[in-house]
Parts: sequence; structure tokens; C-alpha cells
Amino acid sequence: MKLEIDESRCKGCNLCTLVCPYKIYRPGSRPNRKGIYVPEMDRPERCPNCRLQELYGRRLCGMCALICPDQAIKWVPEKPYEPMKVVIEY
Amino acid sequence: MRNEWLRSDRLPHIYCAGCGNGTIMNCVLEAITQTGWDRTRTVFLSGIGCSSRAPGYIMTDSLHTTHGRAIAFATGVKMADPSLHVVVFTGDGDLAAIGGNHFIHGCRRNIDITVVCMNNHIYGMTGGQGSPTTPLGKTSTTTPYGAEEAPFDLVELAIAAGANYVARWTSYHVKQLTDAVYDGLLTPGFSLIEVRCQCPTSYGRRNKYREPTDYMTYLKTNAILKRKWEEMERSGENISPDSFPVGEFVRRSRPVMGVPDEA
Ligand SMILES: Cc1ncc(C[n+]2csc(CCOP(=O)(O)OP(=O)(O)O)c2C)c(N)n1
Ligand code: SF4
Repeated sequence: MKLEIDESRCKGCNLCTLVCPYKIYRPGSRPNRKGIYVPEMDRPERCPNCRLQELYGRRLCGMCALICPDQAIKWVPEKPYEPMKVVIEY
Repeated sequence: MRNEWLRSDRLPHIYCAGCGNGTIMNCVLEAITQTGWDRTRTVFLSGIGCSSRAPGYIMTDSLHTTHGRAIAFATGVKMADPSLHVVVFTGDGDLAAIGGNHFIHGCRRNIDITVVCMNNHIYGMTGGQGSPTTPLGKTSTTTPYGAEEAPFDLVELAIAAGANYVARWTSYHVKQLTDAVYDGLLTPGFSLIEVRCQCPTSYGRRNKYREPTDYMTYLKTNAILKRKWEEMERSGENISPDSFPVGEFVRRSRPVMGVPDEA
């Protein structure tokens, strides 16, 4: 699974930067075509939903997608699925 | 998946950047997908206002009714076919000001509907006039020197009027809100879920919460769990006037109306 921000929906409110326990989102620094500062993602593969959703068979965490007022955050399946090593600092 | 309930062709919606209404829509849809209800047997209703635009983005039958009358229409829908699931989206002005009487009589009759009130403390759509829930001292277009009238407590009002399920959360507490909406949907009788949310454009801008994240921080620090709130009251601890209790306030089984017979 891969995290994705839909740029056609995001309005740049930065609420996702507030709730992610892994601090994956950072306020954007460059405006896009519509002049919106879409948040940037810092190593999105750390998201537990990306890593473990297949294993647990259900949505984990999901705070960012739930709080996003513009329904812009989603997980897209990756194919072929490639396991990768992720370092998590506490 | 809640995406199946959205009219994707109508997104992005009209809400301002950072408006809490979109978050609440997500939580309600998430709760509804958990109930496993049939999309063709669920009806969303709303009155007029920013919050009341929500049913327009949901892929079910919906009624966008006149200002304040959503609960009156919902009563009609439910009585005509009690097997339908009826959910009402409403704003604070819509519910407590112009629709105040429909609201208390909906509670009194205990009609089996779920009402989600997106309380942003002002009339958002018309430019930020003060509503019956504007907190004391807060500025709006009609209270430029700070509101002097005491606000309504929607939760107390619904309890006194007889609703079967009453809860209050905020647009920051998304998981708790989803659970509360889920409980409200499954409780027979009138359920009110009040959700305090941000309106950065009309309320935040005039009250030192310019960025949506500023108001989120306020909600996070000032929402106090009901149990903690009661403890603080008992011990006489002084509670900041900006704080408010959140949680489930009532769950009971008064006589209800509009519940299908075979239930
Ligand atoms: C009968 C009637 N009176 C007044 C209006 C004007 N009006 C439109 S939206 C609105 C305020 C809605 O505020 P609220 O219910 O708080 O929703 P919000 O926009 O804050 O989400 C008003 C007064 C109307 N449309 N119809
Ligand atoms: S005016 Fe306020 S309530 Fe209406 S969409 Fe904008 S932020 Fe939301």
C-alpha cells in the first residue's frame, strides 16, 4: 500500500500535519498549479497502514484520512508488492 | 469503504480550506459503513447552511430542505416508511435558531432519527453572524464587541427535551466521533451528536484562530472528558470558561416513535 495525496482535492489546510503520530506530513513549501501548498510527505513508508494493512486485513490508524476535510488522502495498492526495510525511531 | 458513499464527481466540495464540515462527513460515513446499511434504504436530510450542503456529496437519496426544517421533513420521511434509515445533517443556526422548535419536539416525540449538528458557533454561509451558540465574549459580524447573550447548550437542551442518545465531540476527536455516531445510529429513538468544529473563514478569522490548525489546538486542549469534568466540578477545581465537556451524555430507552414493528 502507498500513501497518496490527491492534489486535485487538497486545499492545503495542513490538518494532517497535526494528527499523524509518525509526523509523516509536513506543511508544503511550494505552491502547485492551483496555488495550493500541498503538504509534503516525509518517508511515507513508515505509515503502519502501508506496511501492515495486508497482514492484519483491516485499516490501521487512518487518522489522516479521517480528519482530511477534503477526502484527499488515500492508500493505493502497489503492484508488485515489494517488502522493504523500514527504520522506525521512537 | 466510505468512498463508495461519496459522489466523487462532485468533489472537491465547496467548503473552505480547513473547514470541519468535511471531517464530520468522513466520520459519519465511516460509522455508516460500519453499520452495513443498504445505500438505497438510507436517507440524508439537511436544512440550509454550509453544513447542510453535506448530503449533496453523498450517493444516497437526500432532501435539502428549507432553513431549519430538516427535522420536520425527517419526521415525515420516517413516519411514511419506518424501515428507512434517516440521518440529518444540520448547522447550529439551522438547529438551534430557526429550527429550535422542530428540534425540541423531535426530541420529545423521540422519533427514530440521528441528528449530527456541526456546531461552528456562527452562521457560516451568510458571512459569520452570531448564532444561539456563539460563546460569551466572542466576536462575529453581529456581535462586533463580543457576544453578550448566553449561548445554548445543545446537549442539555436535547436531554431535557427527551432524546434517547446524546453525545458531544469535536472535529479533532475523529475516532471517538465515529464511535458516537455509530452508537447514535443504532440507538432507537432520537439521537443527537453535537460536533464542535472550526470555521476558519467566518469564526476563526475574527477570534484569533486564523489557521484551521489553531482552532484544532484549541479543541484539543479545551475539550474535557465528561468524567474528568464532573470530577473537577466536584473537587471545586476552577475550570476555564473556554472549556467544555465531551463524551456520551445520555443513553436511555424512553418510548420511541417511527421504529419498525418487527424490530
Ligand atoms: C427562511 C430562511 N431564513 C434565512 C435564510 C438565510 N440563511 C442561509 S444559510 C443561514 C445560516 C446557516 O447557519 P448554520 O445553520 O449555523 O450553518 P453553517 O453555515 O454555520 O454551517 C441563513 C440564516 C434562509 N436561507 N432561509
Ligand atoms: S464559511 Fe465556515 S462553515 Fe462555511 S464552508 Fe467556510 S469554513 Fe466552512
